[in-house]
Amino acid sequence: MGRQKDLKSPKLLINREASWLEFNDRVLQEGLRDDLPLAERLKFLSIVSSNLDEYFMIRVAGLIQQRMDDSRTLDPSGMTAKAQLDLISNRTHKMVAEQTAGIKDVFGQLAQKGFHVLSRADWNDEQAGFLRQHFNNEILPVLTPVAIEGLSPAPVLPGLQLFVAFSVSTGRARTKIIAVPVPGLLQRFVNIPTEGDTFVTPVEEVIAANAQTLFGDSRIVSAAYFRITRDADVSIQEDEAADLLSTIARAVRERRRRSAVRLEISASAEPRMKRWLTRFLQLGSQDVYEIDGLPGASAVMQLVDLLPSEELKSPDWPAQEARDLSGSEDLWATIQEKDVLLFHPYESFDPVMKLAEEASNDPNVLAIKQTLYRTSGKSPLVQSLANAARNGKEVTVLVELKARFDESRNVNWALELEDAGCHVIYGIARLKTHAKAMLIIRREQGKIKRYVHLSTGNYNDRTAKLYSDIGLMTCNPDITADVAAFFNLLTGQSETVGWHKLTIAPTNLRQKFLDLIDREIQASTPGDRGLIMAKLNALQDPVICRALYRASQAGVRVKLNIRGICVLRPGIKKVSDNIEVRSILDRYLEHSRIYYFRNGGHEEIYLSSADWMRRNLDRRLEILFPVVDGRAKSRVMNMLETFFDDNMQSWRLLPDGKYKRIEARGKKVRAQEKFYQETVKASSSARHIKTRFRPLSRPEK
Amino acid sequence: MSPVKKTNQQTSGARTLGAIDIGSNSIRMVIAQAMPDGKIEILERLQRGVRLGQDTFRAGRIKGTTMRAAVLILRDFMNVLKLYNADVVKVVATSAVREAGNSDAFLDRILMATGLDVDIISSSDESRLTVAAVRQEVGRKQLAKQSSVIVEVGGGNTEINVLRKGQIAASRNLAIGSIRMQELLSTSTKSADQASDMIRQQVAGVVSSMRGLLNLKQVRVFYAVGGDARWAAERVGRKTKIANLRSVSKRDLDKLVGKSRHYTADKLSRMYGLPFSEAETLIPALLVYQVLLKSTGAREIIVSNVSMRDGLVLDLAQQAAGSVEESAYEDIIRSATSIAEKYGVDLKHAIHTRQTSVRLFDELLAEHSLDKRYRLLLEVAALLHEIGTFVSGRAYHKHSFYLVTNSEISGLTQDELQLVAHVARYHRRSRPKPAHIEYMALPRERRMTVNKLAALLRVADALDASRTQHVRNINCRISDEYLQIITPTTADVSLEERMLAMQGDLFEDIYGLRIRLERE
Repeated sequence: MGRQKDLKSPKLLINREASWLEFNDRVLQEGLRDDLPLAERLKFLSIVSSNLDEYFMIRVAGLIQQRMDDSRTLDPSGMTAKAQLDLISNRTHKMVAEQTAGIKDVFGQLAQKGFHVLSRADWNDEQAGFLRQHFNNEILPVLTPVAIEGLSPAPVLPGLQLFVAFSVSTGRARTKIIAVPVPGLLQRFVNIPTEGDTFVTPVEEVIAANAQTLFGDSRIVSAAYFRITRDADVSIQEDEAADLLSTIARAVRERRRRSAVRLEISASAEPRMKRWLTRFLQLGSQDVYEIDGLPGASAVMQLVDLLPSEELKSPDWPAQEARDLSGSEDLWATIQEKDVLLFHPYESFDPVMKLAEEASNDPNVLAIKQTLYRTSGKSPLVQSLANAARNGKEVTVLVELKARFDESRNVNWALELEDAGCHVIYGIARLKTHAKAMLIIRREQGKIKRYVHLSTGNYNDRTAKLYSDIGLMTCNPDITADVAAFFNLLTGQSETVGWHKLTIAPTNLRQKFLDLIDREIQASTPGDRGLIMAKLNALQDPVICRALYRASQAGVRVKLNIRGICVLRPGIKKVSDNIEVRSILDRYLEHSRIYYFRNGGHEEIYLSSADWMRRNLDRRLEILFPVVDGRAKSRVMNMLETFFDDNMQSWRLLPDGKYKRIEARGKKVRAQEKFYQETVKASSSARHIKTRFRPLSRPEK
Repeated sequence: MSPVKKTNQQTSGARTLGAIDIGSNSIRMVIAQAMPDGKIEILERLQRGVRLGQDTFRAGRIKGTTMRAAVLILRDFMNVLKLYNADVVKVVATSAVREAGNSDAFLDRILMATGLDVDIISSSDESRLTVAAVRQEVGRKQLAKQSSVIVEVGGGNTEINVLRKGQIAASRNLAIGSIRMQELLSTSTKSADQASDMIRQQVAGVVSSMRGLLNLKQVRVFYAVGGDARWAAERVGRKTKIANLRSVSKRDLDKLVGKSRHYTADKLSRMYGLPFSEAETLIPALLVYQVLLKSTGAREIIVSNVSMRDGLVLDLAQQAAGSVEESAYEDIIRSATSIAEKYGVDLKHAIHTRQTSVRLFDELLAEHSLDKRYRLLLEVAALLHEIGTFVSGRAYHKHSFYLVTNSEISGLTQDELQLVAHVARYHRRSRPKPAHIEYMALPRERRMTVNKLAALLRVADALDASRTQHVRNINCRISDEYLQIITPTTADVSLEERMLAMQGDLFEDIYGLRIRLERE
């Protein structure tokens, strides 16, 4: 047992925040790559910022809270909250500087291609004139300056809002700071119409240059841009919440006034303004980020659509018809015949929407049950569910209101569903419903048939074009019975009754993973080593880490492909020398979770909504389901191998927690591109088969 | 979406069935569909904890709060059933309700709140259903190979069924159950070890007192059904040749019990994701299995996933298809015959009357249009119609009535037994009258069925008035006015004719036919 105790050492775990920062750094490094199209680089550079925004609102806010509450608690890697916050501040400052430089570099190269992002100083007279006009006509009418200095109570400046701050002098009196929010409905970049080249300029520059009209006789002394990030880690006390809907609506409103955790401000801002804002927001100097460029740089994403030339962009990879559905005219019959595997976004997400739509209008369908997490209200799926209820079907929808940042959006369409007659459940107390499942009960020629769709990704037709996920449509009676039981569990209609094929968190998913790892250890011999392969988004659960260490010690090979956080340290002698950790970062967000166990030759492959994180295993409702159909299984197996073959977009995790880009030796493999090409090939050959010759007869006179 | 493909093949369609069991620890439901080819597909299994057993076994009656909880669960279950447009729903209750002093009030409450009519089934019925389910799962042949025992440790009782050649040779229902045991534990302040010793001793005591009856040592195969056994199989079970069956060796069971009994129910519940009510009774139940296994000649427990509810589903499916499973049918007839024997009736007459009434039933099918199940009930009534003579020759039909009512015939529900008792009661003398309270208590439709069947039984009984079984191999001819009963006998049938004239009145009224007995 001595060995086991060793495995509990905090030194064996990488700090979670450090690992996340590494992840965001990998995103940044993509944005700095010379060999990528400029549009792709802009996307990555933008994502660096949107990631940081969310990270500060949740993680950093949480750590700040923890620093106040209990400064001595150590995280599993042995760090205090303060130490972690210091680490975050240091790394983020460097990261932001690199990102800013990267954006400048891209802008420079774009200018050579005839696309100019101008700052105020670059405008010529003609341009300045046009922008003045534009300001007076389009911008001025929607501006509302807010005096923030010397007011009591101080006005609330909402988070993630870009402000132009003016230091204004009124005659002899000392200067005052006035903030002008840049209205969210304005495009961040203003196009300056010109023949030939394209010229754009940030809207805040236009405001800063023309704001004098706002202040009448008062004189603008200086101007700067700033942006606040506030704590958004709202946890709702569900037990006290008699009405979850209104509680969430209130929590969302309150988020506006929660404490600030970060201030981004123009590097050129005058020191008095910086000091004043820092104090006003009760921040420390390490929470202030001086930006020598665009604050809220995620906005550079908007430039991508403005780029005139296709050569600046990566070739489009349009979604193809799913391989398993080619030639299928009757979705129901096809699923009856075989399991349908869907690999998004290479394969279109439409069939999932279509399944729900057809179910809603099909007189044979008796009932539909559906979990929804991060779904857009305009989603055709929501419309189909409402329709189905209007058509008299029993529709049960579990809407996860607690999906972060989507709360207010969720409330609206949840009510809409209820009005249509759906039985809506607003989540489960204390647990987030993260599992993705759809169940359709249909009566066919007097017999009950059930159809299930399970997936690693959300029912969101928009993200299904950007996230790489795997879905499965099946009639497998064990799985359909399990999914029915899952919904009974969710609706409180039943307790767990024993599962055929599914494993559920928080019930027994953790135990299942530990059992599977243990089984691999038992089955592993020097001559016939065990093998665990997993592709997931994050590995943060210390218990799973230790189980994997034990597996490595027992000679089991462990290959992990983890997009984001990984707290496991690979390659440590006698602990994890058999573990390899890679990470893929490419144009689509890797989102699928695949778990493979060799099991002495009786291979098992599972898909899941869950990562190896504590929150997934303990605080969320998740589903792990096996891929049983032979064809589907070998397809997923191939995908998994391709992910590990990738040597163009992959990184390797080193024992010290840093990542190193994998250099292609020999044949170059880019997993995402390969998937796309394979899909196109499968789809076009299917089209070929479908082609029917139609002999034309002589036209009638 | 293309329209549903039309095929020429004629599908009569499947029937969706719901079977609900109100047990001592929880209420459970199975939703299944019975295919036209006889196959049964389980659609859903549901379960909700409600501690009826704790109320009944501790206080003798079900508390109001528990009743409310049970009604809410049944309502929820009805909502799930609604999704499937279930054709048949059957609700049964076992020991916790059976033994509750206020079971009637409870059942009324359920009827009013949900419209569900609950049948309280006897422990012998529980046994029969469980055995039928296991038989289906294991396979008839396999089950007949070796002498075996099927055990279910429930909350209130432990059912033990010893099978020889696949048929029930002996059934016992022991009043040792996991809730009763857990009650025992919770009132004692003993350590886990002492507590488990206590349970062991108690179970061993009961088992050894049964030893002569059950002859467990000869048992080679030990089948266990129920959630606790399933949990053990999930932890330490191995696959067997038969899908869905897992085996747990004596050693593994001992190890598992040894390890788990030190955990609190709370810990078990958290570790294994069990409902708390199940976690609480898990160890007591496993201890019971442990002791029972040791008293047999088996070396392992074969755990089946099925339960009494699956037996219920089989029953429903067969009833829906209008057929009673052959062996279940035989079990019922055998059981009725042995009751008739026990009360010393003229068995030849009883059997003859049974044959004649069946004959009449079949001949008059178009007139009464009762389904096959009632044919069986008529047979049972015919076998038992005279058991009242055991008490007294005077007004013995009334004695028959209450003796039948209080008999246990596994395979018949309480309602069916009531019907049989009424049919037996009206086989002679007075016809049903508004003054007869029990009769009037039956629903109108039931009363009609009693009349239809009693009329046939009266005729059949009259046809053997001489108790010589002369009137046999009868043929019937039905005209507008008459039922002609034609017998090839050459013997004197004047007694039968006289009796027919006396007892045929009910028949005439119900069927609108006058009876003529004629010789070929």
